[in-house]
Amino acid sequence: MHYPVWYVPQLTAPMLIAVIAVLHVLVSHYAVGGGFFLAVETGYAYRTNNSAYLEYLRRHAWFFILITVVYGAVTGVGIWWTIGLSSPLATEMLIHTFVFGWAMEYVTFILEIASAFAFFYYWGRLEARTHLIIAWIYAIAAWLSLVLITGITSFMLNPGLWPRTQNFWLGILNPQFVPQTLTRTGGSFLLASLYVYLHASIKMQDPQLRELVASRSARPALLGAVLVAVGGVGWFAFLPDSARAALLAAPVLNVFMALVVAFTAAVFVMIYFGPYKNPAWLSPALAVLLLASGMGAATAGEYLREAVRKPYIIYNVVMSNQIRADELPSYQSQGVLEAGRWTKAYVAQKYPQVIRNQKVDTSRLLSLPEADQVELGHVLFQYQCANCHATTIGYNPVAQYIRGWSEDMLRDLALHPERVRFVMPPWAGTREEAELLVKYLKSIQPPYPRGMHGGTR
Amino acid sequence: MGPHELTAPANPLGYPAPYWFLVFFKVLGFTLHALPMSLWYAGIFLALFAYWLGGPLSKVWSRRLMERMPIIVALGINFGIIPLLFIQTAYYKVFYPATILMAWPWFAIIPMLTLAYYGVYLYVVGLRSENLRAWHKAAGWVSAVLFTVMGFFFANAFSLMVNVSGWGELWRKTNLAGAALGTALNTGDPTLWPRWLMMIGLAICTVSAYTVFDAAFWASREGDEYKRWAGGFALKVHTVGLLWFASMGSWYVFGTWPADVRESMFSGAKLLLTAVTAISPGIPWFFILLQRRGVTRALAAAAGAGQFAAIAVNAVSRQLVQNIHLSLFVDVAAEPVRVQWSPIVVFLVMFAVGVAILVWIALKLVEAERRSQARAT
Repeated sequence: MHYPVWYVPQLTAPMLIAVIAVLHVLVSHYAVGGGFFLAVETGYAYRTNNSAYLEYLRRHAWFFILITVVYGAVTGVGIWWTIGLSSPLATEMLIHTFVFGWAMEYVTFILEIASAFAFFYYWGRLEARTHLIIAWIYAIAAWLSLVLITGITSFMLNPGLWPRTQNFWLGILNPQFVPQTLTRTGGSFLLASLYVYLHASIKMQDPQLRELVASRSARPALLGAVLVAVGGVGWFAFLPDSARAALLAAPVLNVFMALVVAFTAAVFVMIYFGPYKNPAWLSPALAVLLLASGMGAATAGEYLREAVRKPYIIYNVVMSNQIRADELPSYQSQGVLEAGRWTKAYVAQKYPQVIRNQKVDTSRLLSLPEADQVELGHVLFQYQCANCHATTIGYNPVAQYIRGWSEDMLRDLALHPERVRFVMPPWAGTREEAELLVKYLKSIQPPYPRGMHGGTR
Repeated sequence: MGPHELTAPANPLGYPAPYWFLVFFKVLGFTLHALPMSLWYAGIFLALFAYWLGGPLSKVWSRRLMERMPIIVALGINFGIIPLLFIQTAYYKVFYPATILMAWPWFAIIPMLTLAYYGVYLYVVGLRSENLRAWHKAAGWVSAVLFTVMGFFFANAFSLMVNVSGWGELWRKTNLAGAALGTALNTGDPTLWPRWLMMIGLAICTVSAYTVFDAAFWASREGDEYKRWAGGFALKVHTVGLLWFASMGSWYVFGTWPADVRESMFSGAKLLLTAVTAISPGIPWFFILLQRRGVTRALAAAAGAGQFAAIAVNAVSRQLVQNIHLSLFVDVAAEPVRVQWSPIVVFLVMFAVGVAILVWIALKLVEAERRSQARAT
């Protein structure tokens, strides 16, 4: 409520974060795992004096740069852009807590960029040892970047002791840190191998060389899948109770959980019996299937990671309606229209008659004309609900959930959303404001679907 | 309600470091970002025109600049992260509302940047293959236009950030039940246009300084004729940039600054800073003038350092002006501070180690260049 809400029709603004985040992680994991692939394999090619393999790795490095340095870097910045627009209060809290964590990550970015370009553009001009050191600088910097950002994203799910201590290190090294670092490290190894398979299967003509790539990249992929599984178990074990409950309660999350397990297992099996045991099987079709499955697992995993946090953006710190958990009592006593900067400005400008002593007098709200009450209910919807709900159609559309509800049911929902669904935050306003919301919900509420219950309704 | 009531309340966590520390890194980061940013901002257009309309030496210059453009863009994006971090730490009260009011143009920067970056790569791939087809060229032109539009959106966001008194009206015009539609632009603010255009002038000067620096230090494979030409060409470009900067800067300062900003920037020590900011792009111009018949390493280094200093001084002045504008609504230096000592120390250690590694990499690259040249000769 400290900031204006950005209205994104149908999709909702936070879903833009999910879209950009998924687009980013599919490449950022490759940026980490691919660094290890290039460092290990370039070392192997130098040691075995395999000039054909070295030439392939040079070509792969170009593909790697085009994908990770351009797309990966820009979508990474895109996440910054989107979280500031969609969840400004949560971003404000995160940045005040972890600005130096991000600054450390920034140092690793610069090292990544410099070493990636030096590694590729000076190929053949650097001594082998120097070339390899630069490859390892890239790999380690990229992995450190993963570790640092995982500390921050895992903090959002389970900040551990931070709310009591507000200590930077206790925030970064939260209960979810190790499991999520394991998962992401494993995901990086796995996805990198799948990208390598795709590139090698299309670009590599020499069957022997292709088999070499297939078998050598199978080991990190299998290790990656194991790390994903181990990290996933740890992730589940250290979930806050509400997140575990959300995971078990929501059918879509059940399905996504099953998809993560199924895709990861399928990739493991396909790699074990394919490139690991039978490297000659590597073909563009298999590579596409593997990469699509790996991306499916990563996408479902990212969605799960984001979704189980509800009703929080940062667990027990910032709620999904952009209110800090500690501000809730104040909002409930003053009213959200008064407590929110932009809601108050809206009321003061459009309905000055409800302002008394420069404050929104919530007792006057229900004496406004009916249309104005519905309009203010819409304002409350935008600021309290629109972060997770579209109105009538789109993502999580509230109108479809309340088809045919009675006024009492709507009132109960408005006053106690957390009782109706525990993944919703408590109502952050007064009873009068809840009435306004009820009137707005009624105005968008479709009728109960016709012809149900044997045609009796 | 006054406009100051639309700015967010103070964060209960406080600043994680003293204000001066945050703003130092913000300004330093912006200076480092502005250097490569200027090269793509003005450089891509100039390079494309030079390739299209220029003679053989113009084409050599164009190729040299564009071949490095992917690296320049990568550096610019990465250097841009630091000011973005610290602006959100110290200026969050005004940064978020301003960008939310213009959310769609601000968000559009990400797909535009992706397209522009790949456009640059496409152009460079064509250039390197010695087969620059029409669609390679089109990709280059599209990139140039996209970078210009992005610059305009950035100028909008940062001018809107301080135009707090304009928020209410923009919001009134672009909201749905109080939620911002995100379609506003700050085009009604008189400071927007000269601010944006002034940056273009500075960017043109940066391209010129880069030209002599590149010719002196990195163009060993080009003949003497190119190095002579580069000095003269850079002088023409810098003169145009300087005149542009001077006219837009005058418009900005004398035509759009409110009385309080002008009074503050024209008194005491700030007057000296304002004067230095105004004349700063003239210093590299002087060093480039001395190289109009051929570049030398010492003068080229002086021109490069002078241009870096001009950008840095501009960044400092911009910061002061920003704070004066904002002082009517928020006091950015008055927030509570809870210093995070150990993370700061770890960051500074990592920063120092990072710089040392970068220096080591640079030395190895120079060594490799020398070896290649020795082999070639």
